Amino acid sequence: MPRRSFVCRCEDVTLSEVDHAIALGLHEVEELKRYTGLGTGPCQGKECISALVKLLIDKGLADPETVQPFTARPPTEPVTLGALAAGLAPDAGDGS
Amino acid sequence: MSDTDRALSRRGPARCATALRWDRDQLVTAREGDTVSLALLDAGILETSRSAKYRRPRGAYCLRGDCGTCLVRINGLPNRRACLTAVHEGIRIRPQNRLVAGADPSALVDTMLRGGMDHHHFMVRPRVVNQLMQGVARNLTGLGTLPDRMPDAPAQHRVLEPDVLIVGAGSAGRAAHAVLTDGGCDVVWVDRRDRDGIVAEANAAVSDALLDHTGVFGVYVAEGLWAAMRDTPGQPAVLYSIKPRHVVVATGARDPILAVPNNDRPGVVAARGLLQQLRRSDATLAVPAVVIGEGAYATALADALGVEALPPADVDRIEGNPVDAVSLRDGKGKRECQLVALAPLPAPAYELARQAGAAVRWHGGGFSVQRDQRGRCATTAFTVWAAGDVTGYMGPQSAADDGERVAAAVLHSLR
Ligand code: FES
Ligand code: FES
Repeated sequence: MPRRSFVCRCEDVTLSEVDHAIALGLHEVEELKRYTGLGTGPCQGKECISALVKLLIDKGLADPETVQPFTARPPTEPVTLGALAAGLAPDAGDGS
Repeated sequence: MSDTDRALSRRGPARCATALRWDRDQLVTAREGDTVSLALLDAGILETSRSAKYRRPRGAYCLRGDCGTCLVRINGLPNRRACLTAVHEGIRIRPQNRLVAGADPSALVDTMLRGGMDHHHFMVRPRVVNQLMQGVARNLTGLGTLPDRMPDAPAQHRVLEPDVLIVGAGSAGRAAHAVLTDGGCDVVWVDRRDRDGIVAEANAAVSDALLDHTGVFGVYVAEGLWAAMRDTPGQPAVLYSIKPRHVVVATGARDPILAVPNNDRPGVVAARGLLQQLRRSDATLAVPAVVIGEGAYATALADALGVEALPPADVDRIEGNPVDAVSLRDGKGKRECQLVALAPLPAPAYELARQAGAAVRWHGGGFSVQRDQRGRCATTAFTVWAAGDVTGYMGPQSAADDGERVAAAVLHSLR
């Protein structure tokens, strides 16, 4: 099994894959997300966004004063479809 | 398994023994109060799934509910976080993402494709082969298959309209709760962890008012809504629609990954999460381990774990599957170990505050939530306050002080 340094463990994105994307001219957080899939796994980027941004700052590709993470959308925590469906039930909301 | 094969030694009054069933029927002894992750780690079972793209063996990392790599099938339900689930008698745990039960025939794939199977690129053309390939890949890796059965009872829905919602029961959240309830506020208090984990961290009793196992999963500003699911094992799930006047976001900080070679091997965990789990179970490490990290934060964690801290720049790579050593650069040799604990500076858990409209800023280890002097970070249908590590990692004591200060400001604005 070859040695690999993972930036995003959920989606198996390695340092060298990020470097490859950077070499293609993709320098923005959003671009790198779309190209590599980084940040799209079960944790939704909670574990990898910092590692990615640190790397971009170290390479001089991002400005620490202005750099922003990708948009955080629900669900931030796991939720089942069953629980979401409960919110649609006609008797929803017992006010308790 | 004898006690001498264990990764942990237990001190203090022995907790009751219990057992879990792993995979197809391996009986693993554990102690009452352990999480599934800690019990498996104690028994030397570190690999619990395969990764999404290269099919690398994976196990728990953060040990505190953030990373999602500890997902296993528990009592027939897929994608449960082993690190947040307490062991109980008769609990059945299965690894995810194996083609069939039993000897793993997909091991053949590992032999044929030394580099790992990359389903993004492997056999993409011709199209027919791609379709076939996708079918196989989806079974080998990815997320678990559907639940064994329908839930015993449908999920419930509750609507709450408190003065204040507190998200998080870490140091800042606990301090804020004390101040706000003393002040006579109507408070809803949630944390995604179980009560035992929170009590172990607090080292004190925690108010019965806390809704544990309750994760806030989304903020819907236009609706003035904070949505949460309470997911207590063995009970029907409850969806909470919370419409608060004020919210104290005390979501703390996460342990991000450190990019060193083979940082995904089973046996690589986050140092802070490991320490918390050991405290919860009154346990210490009985096997050699090392911390990778630098600065006062990493040194303190290494001291607390009783192991050596190695600066990331010295690390050539992590070896073994599961981990058996860390080799160092420049002839500095090798450290034999069965666990590697990474100690990156914690990164604020900013996501909910940001959904609610708060600004974030890069702050060394991660993005921290920006707030005004009193602690407010957003004002829309509700006023959002940020307290503790979510505003930049500060550690438990400072976070408690901060939670108290911010809660006092919330009280003031409610009067
Ligand atoms: S580590 Fe990147 S999405 Fe989870
Ligand atoms: S979520 Fe369980 S180990 Fe990270």
